[in-house]
Amino acid sequence: MNTAIQFIRAGAFALLLIFVAAAQPAVAQQAPNPTAQSVKEEQLLKALQPGSVISGRITIPDGSAATLIQPEGQDWRQFHQGTLPIIGAISIIGIITLLALFYATRGRIKIDAGFSGRTITRFGGFDRFVHWLTAGTFIVLALSGLNLSFGKFLILPIFGDAAFATLTGYGKVVHNYLSFPFMVGIALMFVIWVKDNIPNKLDLDWIKAGGGLFVKGVHPPAKRFNAGQKGVFWIVAFGGVVISVSGWFLLFPFTGGQIVGDQQFWVNVHAVLAMIFISAMLAHAYIGSVGMEGAFDAMGSGEVDENWAKEHHSLWVEEQKKLAGASPKGAVPAE
Amino acid sequence: MLIKRKDSSARASRSDSRLQAMSSGLSSGTLDRRSFLRRSGLAAGGVATLGVGTLGSVKKAEAIAAIDHTKKVELKKNMCTHCSVGCSIIGEMQNGVWVGQEPAWDSPINRGTHCAKGSASRELVFGDRRLKYPLKLVNGQWTRVSWDLAINEIGDKMTAIREKSGADSVYMLGSAKFTNEGAYLFRKFSAFWGTNSVDHQARICHSTTVAGVANTWGYGAQTNSYNDIRNAKTIIFMGSNAAEAHPVSMQHILTGKETNRANVIVFDPRFTRTAAHATEYVRFRSGTDIAVIWGMMHHIFANGWEDKEFIRQRVDGMDAIRAEVAKWTPAEVERVSGIPGEQLKKIAETFAKQRPSTFIWCMGGTQHTVGTANVRAYCNLLLATGNVGSNGTGANIFRGHTNVQGATDLGLDIGTLPLYYGLVEGAWRHWARVWEVPYDYFESRFDEVPAKGGRPARTKKQNMETPGIPSTRWFDAVSHKADDVDQKDNVKAMVVFGHGGNTIPRMPDSVKALEDLDLLVVADPHPTTFAALSGRKNGTYLLPICTSFEVDGSRTASNRSIQWGEKFVEPIFESKDDYEAIYLLSKKLGFADAMFKNIKVVNNKPIAEDLLREINKGGFSTGYSGQSPERIKAHMANQGKFDIVTLRAPANEAGVGGDYYGLPWPCWGKPEIKHPGTHILYNTNLHVKDGGGTFRARFGVVREEKAADGTSKQISMLADGSFSKGSELTDGYPEFTLGVLKKLGWDKDLTEAEANQINAQGGANADGVGWAVDLSGGIIRVCLEHGVLPYGNAKARAVAYNLPDPVPVHREPIYTPRTDLVAQYPTRPDGRQFRMANIGATVQKAAVDKGVAKQFPIILTSGRLVEYEGGGEETRSNKWLAELQQDMFVEINPADAAARGVRDGGWVWVSGPEANSKARVKALVTERVGKGVAFMPFHFAGWFQGVDQRGNYPKGTDPIVLGESVNTVTTYGYDPVTGMHEGKVTLCQISAA
Amino acid sequence: MARVKFLCDADRCIECNACVTACKNENDVPWGINRRRVVTINDGLPGERSVSMACMHCTDAPCAAVCPVNCFYTTVDAVVLHSKDLCIGCGYCFYACPFGAPQYPRVGNFGSRGKMDKCTYCAGGPEADLTQAEYVKYGANRLAEGKLPICAEMCSTKALLAGDGAIIAEIYKERVTRRGYGSGAWGWKTAYKDGVAL
Repeated sequence: MNTAIQFIRAGAFALLLIFVAAAQPAVAQQAPNPTAQSVKEEQLLKALQPGSVISGRITIPDGSAATLIQPEGQDWRQFHQGTLPIIGAISIIGIITLLALFYATRGRIKIDAGFSGRTITRFGGFDRFVHWLTAGTFIVLALSGLNLSFGKFLILPIFGDAAFATLTGYGKVVHNYLSFPFMVGIALMFVIWVKDNIPNKLDLDWIKAGGGLFVKGVHPPAKRFNAGQKGVFWIVAFGGVVISVSGWFLLFPFTGGQIVGDQQFWVNVHAVLAMIFISAMLAHAYIGSVGMEGAFDAMGSGEVDENWAKEHHSLWVEEQKKLAGASPKGAVPAE
Repeated sequence: MLIKRKDSSARASRSDSRLQAMSSGLSSGTLDRRSFLRRSGLAAGGVATLGVGTLGSVKKAEAIAAIDHTKKVELKKNMCTHCSVGCSIIGEMQNGVWVGQEPAWDSPINRGTHCAKGSASRELVFGDRRLKYPLKLVNGQWTRVSWDLAINEIGDKMTAIREKSGADSVYMLGSAKFTNEGAYLFRKFSAFWGTNSVDHQARICHSTTVAGVANTWGYGAQTNSYNDIRNAKTIIFMGSNAAEAHPVSMQHILTGKETNRANVIVFDPRFTRTAAHATEYVRFRSGTDIAVIWGMMHHIFANGWEDKEFIRQRVDGMDAIRAEVAKWTPAEVERVSGIPGEQLKKIAETFAKQRPSTFIWCMGGTQHTVGTANVRAYCNLLLATGNVGSNGTGANIFRGHTNVQGATDLGLDIGTLPLYYGLVEGAWRHWARVWEVPYDYFESRFDEVPAKGGRPARTKKQNMETPGIPSTRWFDAVSHKADDVDQKDNVKAMVVFGHGGNTIPRMPDSVKALEDLDLLVVADPHPTTFAALSGRKNGTYLLPICTSFEVDGSRTASNRSIQWGEKFVEPIFESKDDYEAIYLLSKKLGFADAMFKNIKVVNNKPIAEDLLREINKGGFSTGYSGQSPERIKAHMANQGKFDIVTLRAPANEAGVGGDYYGLPWPCWGKPEIKHPGTHILYNTNLHVKDGGGTFRARFGVVREEKAADGTSKQISMLADGSFSKGSELTDGYPEFTLGVLKKLGWDKDLTEAEANQINAQGGANADGVGWAVDLSGGIIRVCLEHGVLPYGNAKARAVAYNLPDPVPVHREPIYTPRTDLVAQYPTRPDGRQFRMANIGATVQKAAVDKGVAKQFPIILTSGRLVEYEGGGEETRSNKWLAELQQDMFVEINPADAAARGVRDGGWVWVSGPEANSKARVKALVTERVGKGVAFMPFHFAGWFQGVDQRGNYPKGTDPIVLGESVNTVTTYGYDPVTGMHEGKVTLCQISAA
Repeated sequence: MARVKFLCDADRCIECNACVTACKNENDVPWGINRRRVVTINDGLPGERSVSMACMHCTDAPCAAVCPVNCFYTTVDAVVLHSKDLCIGCGYCFYACPFGAPQYPRVGNFGSRGKMDKCTYCAGGPEADLTQAEYVKYGANRLAEGKLPICAEMCSTKALLAGDGAIIAEIYKERVTRRGYGSGAWGWKTAYKDGVAL
């Protein structure tokens, strides 16, 4: 309806222009006539390609100020207020639902052979430091980030504007600062664990067996990291890089492009990836804690029960034993 | 979404009046924020736990002069200082501080509006880059000194130079930023000092206009007004970019264009912002104005479109023009200027037929070696089509500074005394009479000039009647051999009041001259380029002068309206106003008592009103006699009473009834006779008492014309059957003297007092006392009573017999890319003007012979940016403006840029053909300039040939934005009539840096 | 009830930047923050037009929609204002704004943004009208004094119009009819989902 009215108005405008042009004295019809050639907003808007802007020249050095109208601001709003929360809701609520279903059907994955009482060192101090550096900052970044998208619907009504704004303001500062240790963590993680995370044929078998997660008593063999963990590693590695790069361009505006459209692109990348990332990490956290008996110790004390290790990382345990044989003390460094 | 609720409509009536003022829009009154505060928890006590965050300060670092709305605000009115439109500025004062600015809705000139500069005016007074106290250069270090010490030392040095080299060795450079009173005082000061080398910015902007126009029809000023352009049906801009140089004028022009469906035609080498709003844009080659105008007139005469009756009655010598114009066939015009014949024919027809037509020009027309001739060609186009002296017509000359018209009028000119009284004995005696100082005193002050360089010697009296050195050549007068400079000695000292150091071409030469000066005094709100440009180590004094917002006084806008500006605040820091500085200097030099004989001085401050009264007392020639301070102040207080188009107040308005706004000169006779001023010059449709007029009889009554057969005949130069409305004389008549009055029997109408004054003045030759020197004003008064113009009723001169090229002829610029045309259209032969040699022809020939045009193939022209003005020290120090133009640039056509590997925004070297000059600037690649043309704005300084000179400024006074000056690469070339430089066309080369 | 708008008549605008400096002067806006700016389209070419642009005070403002802390509010005159006490300087409004209106002072480290600043239609902010506190944060409150935005009041050619949307649209229509051309009410389609019906 509305567009129909617009169309009629545009038509009326055009008619009027024709009428008016005809009414002009003949001498005003000269060419080149800068007035007659006047650039019209209507035409510019019509000719506008999706994602492009109406821009001109401006003397101040701020390049983005030369953009006069960027209708894509509305598109971004649509994405940010419509699409993004849906993506976020689906991925986060979806994963929680899946995990709940999984827990309901499979329950906590127990160590089939029960606790052996003997432990084996899975992660040394440095590994655990790197993990928790990344994980800890990630949690804060995730919460402060989610707050930006959902806070005003979920938290603001409870806190009121002022308190919420203060919280969110601190959240923004924390988000900005913690991004640096997070990026360091991602980099370190990649360096220390990449060699054990190169995919190989063993992973296919592990995947075929569903990682043994869905059937009791099935434990496909795995080295230091099974395919599932490798998946988490590569999600973290790739996701971490993209989220860091996009975040960097948001921390330092207009380093990732001259115009607002570039900023919009980077904030979208950052936000969508964050939602997926958060979902993936929820699953990771589940399986590493409540989801599986004995798993948390790996990043907790670093010492895992030998039976747990045998069930989930049989080949790695064998490797470690061989190494232990060579080294009577049995103290096996993770690396 | 939360909505603030309106809780009151108490202010609705106030906003309604606002609406009327803007004739648009409306706002509601106060807004209720309570609901928002409550909802957001920002209201007191509304925050339970966390409180309001303090992250990220919203406080600004610097102190803010906000208006305290609980206290009274005092409104004061002054003028914008940045161009000649004459926009009123209303300042809001609180506790002696200028805290805000409000639109001056009532001003018929700007109706509340401003351009970037006017809107940012407050910063001139509020800014921190001003000179704060007097400074002296000691071994290359700026040292703070007291005013007393500075004035003492300057006075002593001036006296020493005077004794050794003569009075003419001190060059007086004044300013268009002076009030009328300041300009007048500076001219008077120079007369008391004993030199005619006193000049100001008009030399480099409209000196050729003043000379050209005055020599055509009598007075050197805009004939109509900005407002009157609303009446025009066809408007030509030639070499004027009003949208950037006179933005507020465009309010009137665009309204006129829209209401009348007027034709707006822009001739310019550059597609300017004005051209963007034209109905027709014509690109042509810089420096070919005469060819273009003659080309138009060729069509006009060929088709009989001229106004034959107007020419018969009111124009002398048009036949000679017709003969010259016949040579300019469309083909030849196109060959020289590049404009297609058909386009020009259409424009000529439009201009001649769709009347009233007006012609607007600025520096694009004036800054040429043929500047005066250009101007006379424009006037001829107007005369041929009968477009002078009525509504919507005329030569609308847009001038550049607040008071450049007034400063010109008041004699900051090397060839006149105040108000265009020439340097002749009668004129000197007139002012001596007004000043009540013996004529002999002035004679005694001037140098005796010895014979040198094969030229005869000059007595004091002869020297007193010899024009001085133009500001465009001051550095040549310093550096040239003493024998070449036709005065006692070279220039040894510059006393600069408010003039930039980067607005005159050939800066490498002025740098050398600056270093050779014994004394340099810069009296200005800012240090200016003069202070920073050279490697001077000693003998430089900077005197902090306040801006015109810190001084009372009148200013004359381009349309000749005189407006009174109130002092907003006391001069800030240690700055003083011009009046006081000039007073102190004259006191030191020993002639203050004589100079200020009739002017009240309080605490060393001469009173502005008294100065204006003295101007009134002697200002009959130009009609500066009727604008008493009281009358002008009444106009300022009643601005809203004046019509926006006619500029006239209704007859029944108390105090200003029937007056034209600002009593535009000529405002005849004494203030008591209440002449309304003259809105449109030479307008025969009105009675002289209503501002009517005729062309001025300034050039004699008859002239002799030699026929081809050798016989000669006398030709009358008086008007033929044309006269102003209600005139008792219904034909041409000469200018009035007591003798003429007697012949007509009108002398009986003089009062006894008037007759006594005239007889006392004239003595034995009382009949010879003319209207312009009659201090009683009686002759003028009687003329008005009889409906005649005291200056006579003559024809305008199409041919100016007293000037070089009486009929204007096209001459190629000194540095022209069209060397093939130089043989046919050479510049004028070398000669001597204004005490200096003008070797333009030699320079042009050398350039052609050396193939300069091959080496420097791009035409370089220059112009204004809307954000800056003149030399730009003031505006580049204004943070609101500086932010908008942060880099000096050159506009270059994409084709030229591509050929040189120059990219938009990249650094380039622009090099000029003289003195190995070069400038490092940013490239702005644009179609705005044609292929082979480059444009640079002229407001920048502070970099010189790639070197940043920021360190040369006294600490804390360096302008925010610095850049190369275009005049580093501009070149030789001077108009023989006024010494105007050729700033609008030279050659350059551009290469990526 | 008035619904205030801005309308820039590009056929009158001569890029004199009076609106820009008037705004800076009136509201004491620091260097680098441009509440209003003038953009020239087709620079140097026939058809060149300049448009003065600032916050258009949109109907259904995108900035307000995307703000994570709801710091925006719309006044009864339809002026879109915001609270600097609530603003966290996240930059979302800048991404969403079709007109590039939100500006951010650089504060502290690594280019992090301070509180957003934008055109207030010379209507101040949430603080009490015409107080020092209001001025320091938001600039002048001319609306409370019964005045209109200074940029429009001082526009050299009366190109920039401010006031009741219906009235300024009427003025613009009259102009277009009188002179016979008009390049459109720039930004209106985007801001108000409506052009000037001619």
